[in-house]
Amino acid sequence: MLSLEHVSVTFHEGTPNEVRALQDLNLHVRAGDFITVIGANGAGKSTLFNVVAGVVPVDSGKIILNGRDVTNQPEYRRSLHIGRVFQNPILGTCPGLTIREHLSLAALRGKRLGLGSGVKHSNAAWFYELVKSVNLGLETRLDTDIALLSGGQRQAITLTMATMMKPKLLMLDEHTAALDPNAGAQVLELTVKLAEEYGLTVIMITHSMQQAIGVGNRLIMMNRGRVLFDVSGLERETMRYHDLIERFRSLQTGDELSDRTLMS
Amino acid sequence: MPENSFTNSPNSAEAPRRRLPNLFVLRLLVVAVVVGAFMRFFGVNIGSLGQGLAYSLVGVAVFITFRILRFPDLTVDGAFPIGGAVCAMLIVSGTSAELTLFVAFMVGALTGLITALITLFFRVEGLLASIIVITGAYTVTLRVMEARSNVPLLGERTILTPYQAPVRAWLVENFGRGMRRQSNNLVEIVVFALVVIVVLLFLTWFMHTELGLVLRAAGTNSQAVRAFGVNHHLMIILALMLANGLAGLSGSLAVQQLGFADVSLGFGIIVRGLAALLVGEVLLRPRSIGQQILSAAIGMVIFDVSRAWVFAALSLPTTDIRLVSALVVLSALAAPNLIDRWQEWRKKRRRSDA
Repeated sequence: MLSLEHVSVTFHEGTPNEVRALQDLNLHVRAGDFITVIGANGAGKSTLFNVVAGVVPVDSGKIILNGRDVTNQPEYRRSLHIGRVFQNPILGTCPGLTIREHLSLAALRGKRLGLGSGVKHSNAAWFYELVKSVNLGLETRLDTDIALLSGGQRQAITLTMATMMKPKLLMLDEHTAALDPNAGAQVLELTVKLAEEYGLTVIMITHSMQQAIGVGNRLIMMNRGRVLFDVSGLERETMRYHDLIERFRSLQTGDELSDRTLMS
Repeated sequence: MPENSFTNSPNSAEAPRRRLPNLFVLRLLVVAVVVGAFMRFFGVNIGSLGQGLAYSLVGVAVFITFRILRFPDLTVDGAFPIGGAVCAMLIVSGTSAELTLFVAFMVGALTGLITALITLFFRVEGLLASIIVITGAYTVTLRVMEARSNVPLLGERTILTPYQAPVRAWLVENFGRGMRRQSNNLVEIVVFALVVIVVLLFLTWFMHTELGLVLRAAGTNSQAVRAFGVNHHLMIILALMLANGLAGLSGSLAVQQLGFADVSLGFGIIVRGLAALLVGEVLLRPRSIGQQILSAAIGMVIFDVSRAWVFAALSLPTTDIRLVSALVVLSALAAPNLIDRWQEWRKKRRRSDA
């Protein structure tokens, strides 16, 4: 479904600030996989996300999505097949536009833009059902400016927008990290529900070990631009929270303080 | 039954929104009455109303770039005189005046396209790119006018000419010879108002199409629209072409009203456009996209009328026009800020009293 072959990315090459964000990374994602990605700050999780989405160009290597080499495709073209939700709820929405207008925007994904009505009446029932299934009571407020919604509500709408056209791949970059625990749990629950309902392939970056074990069928830990380990099936199922932290620690020998404080 | 529940839902959260359009109309009426009173009682020439209408599309152009696209584009300073120059030269060469409006729009749009391409291909910042284009456009305007700085339209047929004689005859017949002096002003107001209304209706429709919706989204969050598979560079190009096309069209209206094209016509137009936008927003507080477009246009009319009033009240010579413009713009910019600070200050005082 998605393959990264020998992908390397280096920022500020040849300067004292050189960062090797991805080093000869190989990753094969099978259709229907729900992958959780963990790793310390600077491990390359977000760069992985951005490389697949086309925000950051690769220095070497290949990215193959659904059998097509998309390495040199611009971001907006790849977006036709990739749904994304960001950590910051503000990044996924356009203040000033209503919920209905946002959903209309998402419904235009992959379509040729024309001079037809932007907000179509024929979509009204569909939008109502979509927002109703989110279970936040927003279905009666479809004409509310999205800027008036809370972070959790916005993130739920962004998630709906990212999935409603059934993209081949859904990528989530710590999409619950900026929310309060309650809202975060709700959005995560919605994520799992939508992924199952539409049979999506998902890559979810998270900082929460609990989420990483509790959700999905495959777990990847990254460190210094490489995949440290990649577990699925039985091995993953028998893995406990403490095993994971133990492995995280053992692989992080003598690393930055921030990693340890993160785990404590 | 989801269809019904969304159309008829008696939801409390929606109720306050529904009242707002009426308030907007009310504010519009108040503004109309005040402007009318200025004309009637303060000796403001009604010519300023026609002038405001001719320039009003610049306010809309600035609204599109500064508010919708959030791109600080100054290119209207170049697009406006080019539109005017092309219009004047075509009229002098015998082209139908109505047709020149379209040509002026296209030429203005081309100016916007150049700014967009400079920004996108060479990664030059928007402000700088538009200043470069303005500088170049000055020469192009002179070339278009065959190296003259001024092209008079004396005795040529403009979009106003066909109505001037019949209206004058009709006015004199029905309201006496006193109306003779105002007849050309009235023709200007009616003809320009019609052109402007058609353009505003078209724009409002456009902003509700698929393309318009994406354009509005692209301005507020380019990251989000790229995530939805939209090439946001195309949206920047489209918006800059549309905005500067309007400026070009506005230039052609201004030239036909003034009766000549001048190379320095565009100088400081961007400031007037910004003033119009702010005046419209402060006084009318628009909500929907249609109201916002209308407010930017009305803002220009209010700006021109209030400037004319300042002139009449202080009986200043016409050479002082730039300083008066600057001061009116300054007060429009400063007013919202000062009001905020004054309210803040009052709140603080009340707190310390308690």
